[in-house]
Amino acid sequence: MLLQQLLNGVVVGGVYALFAVGFNLVFGVQRLLNLAHGAVFMTGAFVAYYTVRAGGPLILGFVAAAIASGVLAMIIEIVCFRRLRKSGDAEFGAIISSMGAGMVIMTFWQWVSQTQVLRFPFDTVPVVIYRFWGLRVSLLQLMMAAAAIAIVLVMAWFIYRTAFGRQVRAVTDSERASMLVGINPNRIYNLTYFISGALAGAAGVLVGLAFNNINFTMGEPYLMFGFAIIILGGLGSIPGALMASLIFGMVQTLSIAYLPSGLTTAFIFSAMFLILLVRPNGLMGREEAGSLRGRR
Amino acid sequence: MMNLLLGYQPLLDLFLLHLGLAYAQWLVLRAGVFSLGTVGLAAVGAYTGGILVVTYGLPAPLALIASALSGGLVALALSVPLARLRGIYQAIATVAFIQIVLSLNIYATNVTGGAQGITGIPKTVGTPLLLLAGAATIYLMYAITHSRLGRAFDAIRQNEAVAASLGVSIVRHQTLAFVLSGALAGVYGALEAFHSYALVPSQFGFPYLIAILSYVVFGGRTSLWGPIVGTAVLILLPEVVRPLADARMLVFGILLILTINFLPKGIADTLIERARGRRLGARRPAEADTAKGS
Repeated sequence: MLLQQLLNGVVVGGVYALFAVGFNLVFGVQRLLNLAHGAVFMTGAFVAYYTVRAGGPLILGFVAAAIASGVLAMIIEIVCFRRLRKSGDAEFGAIISSMGAGMVIMTFWQWVSQTQVLRFPFDTVPVVIYRFWGLRVSLLQLMMAAAAIAIVLVMAWFIYRTAFGRQVRAVTDSERASMLVGINPNRIYNLTYFISGALAGAAGVLVGLAFNNINFTMGEPYLMFGFAIIILGGLGSIPGALMASLIFGMVQTLSIAYLPSGLTTAFIFSAMFLILLVRPNGLMGREEAGSLRGRR
Repeated sequence: MMNLLLGYQPLLDLFLLHLGLAYAQWLVLRAGVFSLGTVGLAAVGAYTGGILVVTYGLPAPLALIASALSGGLVALALSVPLARLRGIYQAIATVAFIQIVLSLNIYATNVTGGAQGITGIPKTVGTPLLLLAGAATIYLMYAITHSRLGRAFDAIRQNEAVAASLGVSIVRHQTLAFVLSGALAGVYGALEAFHSYALVPSQFGFPYLIAILSYVVFGGRTSLWGPIVGTAVLILLPEVVRPLADARMLVFGILLILTINFLPKGIADTLIERARGRRLGARRPAEADTAKGS
């Protein structure tokens, strides 16, 4: 029973990782919170749903969702953040601006879906259950885990092993210095937002499939969980976000199984408060949470 | 004429209720506290008021005082962890606080009524009382702005290091601002409960937070006029332009993006600054540049 819960937790954690790694990647590179990330995530689910309903195979829906969400995130960066970053008060402004973007995207999908709950056609993913060592794993869970692992590995390779990734990390360290060595930061920002959005979109498809419930408010709780995960892992740290997502997924499934129902959310966010108090930089963060500097 | 005015009375009530919360949000932002928790504190106040009146049969004025106290006390407790955090971390922590309040309100069914909330709250608050509360709130804010306290808040917001070097205690002032804001939010939460018969947990969620933030950002974050202008315009806009009423969220979203990008100080603050610049420019052309730079 416990083992089964842990297994479920790892699968859920993998999906959270897709969401939170992109969220944290953007924060790491620009020091800005993108509150529209939940809406981008939702966009992935909707795009995949409409692709599948139009008769496309699921894999096409998955790819279309990732690309559409990635492009959407890129547009958000250009429209909402580019001007603000030059103004000097981007920290507060980005929260407001991306909140606005999230509302616009939510309204759009509310109109498209006419406020209905959408469900993938039955048998989009065949219901197959494998049993081994007394554990039950569904095909969907295997798909989720495989997709999460594959996507995160590709992204890690991209960030840590390619020239593009080196440029991303250079811009993260210092935008000015990277410009001096001939990197165009705006191009790098576009790229990181595309990656971040595509990861969120992929997570959206997986969550949509897992719960078979797609609606225009589905992004909000994930945005909240995203906060908790990146606080635990450390703002801006990608390995931290990965580890925290897995821990978070397991804690969540365990607390749903063993704590009184309804207390899960309160428990998770209270734990987040404790982490902020005891270890504000998270497991692997380098950022100073309490640093004293002039703002605004 | 009278009928026309009466038709707008619910709108006036809405404006006054939201104005109070907008001021609560404005006050913390002015002191440089990056809190988004106003809505959560309003929920604390509203539930305190609702429970005291419905379950324990307390008279509304007493419950209102208790709501202010509870909002202030919770804010005081919350300010301890917040004082150790900066910027984005404060924003995240306060959003988490809203979630905690929300889920506890849903969970504690026998105290708060769970997801159904509290119903049958006697309606004791009407437009006259709300007008009175609005006037009192504006006066309080005016008094704070024009006292040593307001100047200390401004100094902290503009530069913490400089404020500290001038002997302004950052933690003490920010705690004070946060507690005052919490008490104000508590009062207005309770007023809302006493005004509308019923309370549900989801009422004080993310959409409400966005609305309150929009008022302050759109109007202005430093001048006294900011919340008034922002709340008035954003509440009236969907009413005046009827087709917009369905697309409220869309309009708010687009306005938020446009305002923060092109008028980052908000409408009222930008106009006031411009008027002040013109006045100073006309009187002392040579010093106009220094005035602009300060």
